[in-house]
Amino acid sequence: MRKVKFLFIISLAFAVVMMAACSQSSGGSGEEKVVNIGYSGPLSGAAAFYGENTLNGLKMAVDEINKEGFEVEGEKYKLNLVSLDDKYMPNETASNGKRLVQENKTPIIFSPHSGGIAALQVFNEMDNFLIVAYSSEPDITERGNKLTVRIPPSYAGYIEPFSTYAMDRFGKKMAALPPVTQYGKDWAEAIIPYWEENGGEVVHQASIDFSKDTDFFTILTNALKQDPDVLFIGGASEPTAKVAMQARELGFDGGFIIMDQAKLDEMKNVTQSYDVLEGAVGVTPLIHTEYPGTAEFIDKYRELYNKDPGSEAGYHYLATYVLVEAMKAAGNVEDAKLIREHIQAGLDQLPEDKKVYEIPSVEDDGGFVNLIRMATVEDGEIVLKEVD
Amino acid sequence: MELLLQQLFNGLTIGSVYSLVALGLTLVYGILHIPNFAHGALYMVGGYITLMMMTNAGLHYVLAIVVSIIVVGLLSVLMERLVFHPLRDSPPIQDKVAAIGILLFLEALAQLLWGADYRQMPTPFGEVVNVFGLTLTLQRIIIVAAAIAVMIFLYWFLKKTFIGSTIIAMAQNREGAALVGINTNKVAILTFFIAGALAAIGASLTSPINLVFPGMGHLVILKAFVIIIIGGMGSIPGAILGGYILGFTESIGATYISSDYKDIIAFVLLIIILSAKPQGIFSKGGA
Repeated sequence: MRKVKFLFIISLAFAVVMMAACSQSSGGSGEEKVVNIGYSGPLSGAAAFYGENTLNGLKMAVDEINKEGFEVEGEKYKLNLVSLDDKYMPNETASNGKRLVQENKTPIIFSPHSGGIAALQVFNEMDNFLIVAYSSEPDITERGNKLTVRIPPSYAGYIEPFSTYAMDRFGKKMAALPPVTQYGKDWAEAIIPYWEENGGEVVHQASIDFSKDTDFFTILTNALKQDPDVLFIGGASEPTAKVAMQARELGFDGGFIIMDQAKLDEMKNVTQSYDVLEGAVGVTPLIHTEYPGTAEFIDKYRELYNKDPGSEAGYHYLATYVLVEAMKAAGNVEDAKLIREHIQAGLDQLPEDKKVYEIPSVEDDGGFVNLIRMATVEDGEIVLKEVD
Repeated sequence: MELLLQQLFNGLTIGSVYSLVALGLTLVYGILHIPNFAHGALYMVGGYITLMMMTNAGLHYVLAIVVSIIVVGLLSVLMERLVFHPLRDSPPIQDKVAAIGILLFLEALAQLLWGADYRQMPTPFGEVVNVFGLTLTLQRIIIVAAAIAVMIFLYWFLKKTFIGSTIIAMAQNREGAALVGINTNKVAILTFFIAGALAAIGASLTSPINLVFPGMGHLVILKAFVIIIIGGMGSIPGAILGGYILGFTESIGATYISSDYKDIIAFVLLIIILSAKPQGIFSKGGA
């Protein structure tokens, strides 16, 4: 008897949830229709800070767009951002993806980490949603997934200029200390062969686990024993800055090659000055970037969040506008295939003042074509270098 | 030789931190007989309170640590009063679930209050000291010295004072302690206070060499569990010895075997020790 009652309550609860879900997705009252945009990223746990930064850019764009709304085929739409936490775990991203598609019918899902993107790529073509991928992992676009757009430049473009700069300025001996993540390993596997082919030597190799290591002295002592000229490091900006600081404390006076996840300006917040990072080469911090829409974006972001934006916020902001333009050009807000086909049109029609970055085109594999630039620290100042 | 000495010092630094965290964990285990999963969260809160006292209230590093000790100690007591005390007659699984609940709650609360950012804790003791070719920073010397001082004080307190021995008595046998007239409530409160204080000290000492962020407790808590298992659950000398064993294994193992295997080395050691002494190095006989 009890069991029957229990089953009854469960099915009742299920029905209520279903009804709530349905009423939500049919969404919107009367005139204005709503397009749900999905997001699955780390909003708690070790990578929460990174997740928040990506989401900030996205939220900012959505709020701005919603002030006016936008028109597709004569109908007025607003965006509704549905953000879910995946704690940086691909399995959670996959279930979030399913949930977003089934409950909210999102034609577009943003995800800012390569593992989660890979998990979404398993079923996105079948479930017909566009993945807007924020990760520099080249694999993402090399898998042949037709409904994936990669926003930032692939790190493959940084290998050569970073290596050349560090080798010319400091010497041929490198100690590689990438983070243990898949992304860190892939980066290392890309740069180490290049370094060796060009006459360099990798004198020490170990990986840093930022989720387990409290102190980096042990690992650095071993690396510096081999007397390297250059340290290859990376990870989130702040812990990476700590690694650089501790290397200096241990007497290291060479240069740093910094993986593209870390940003020099954020690292400086930890080290207090650029002197510690002398000779570092990394990607250009957003606040040192000058495209038509960059300055305005930085001002608005500072006002809203009281801190400097990183490139993850900038790229998400830009991508949201590109998508809206693409939806307008496609004349459709539901079909991911149509939207994907009109991404190029979206890029072309992007208003000048929203160009936080200059992105001329999207490649067939879904990668945005970015102009690669790099930043170095010379005499305690950020110096920008053009890369061809 | 220089390398060995440098790595021994590195092991000593990190071992001191591990020991402090493990001590708090093992003390509470003695009273509750469950692993307090929320201990890592107390460690994290300790780091934040010290940081906030320094940046917002402008207190000196040392004074900020004192405030942090008191706040986290009280938070730990509050945890005992509100959660573990009402659950004292329930099956142990409920305490465990509650402990995990507190952990999640405190982490989410920290993220809400202070944001998810990584923060840097400044230290007035940042100088680099070179002795006989070794690189030490003043902060690291302080970590080692303060940790050892705290451990000696704790040991003296538990062994040589009347109040301290009531904690040991209760850890050995709760009913027995109650029968000879020990107020188990008071002892439990005191133990939780000490555990919280130890977490605060550990976090405040370590934060300048790492960063303060909501997930920082995870860096040490898993290791602290390994340590108290190696040392013997509930054993004070076991936690101290276990902490240093793990610290030295990590630094020496990373140097002479492989840094990619340093965690494996630590866990292999755990298996070896448990094979020889299934109850840990300082296992207590009988109950």
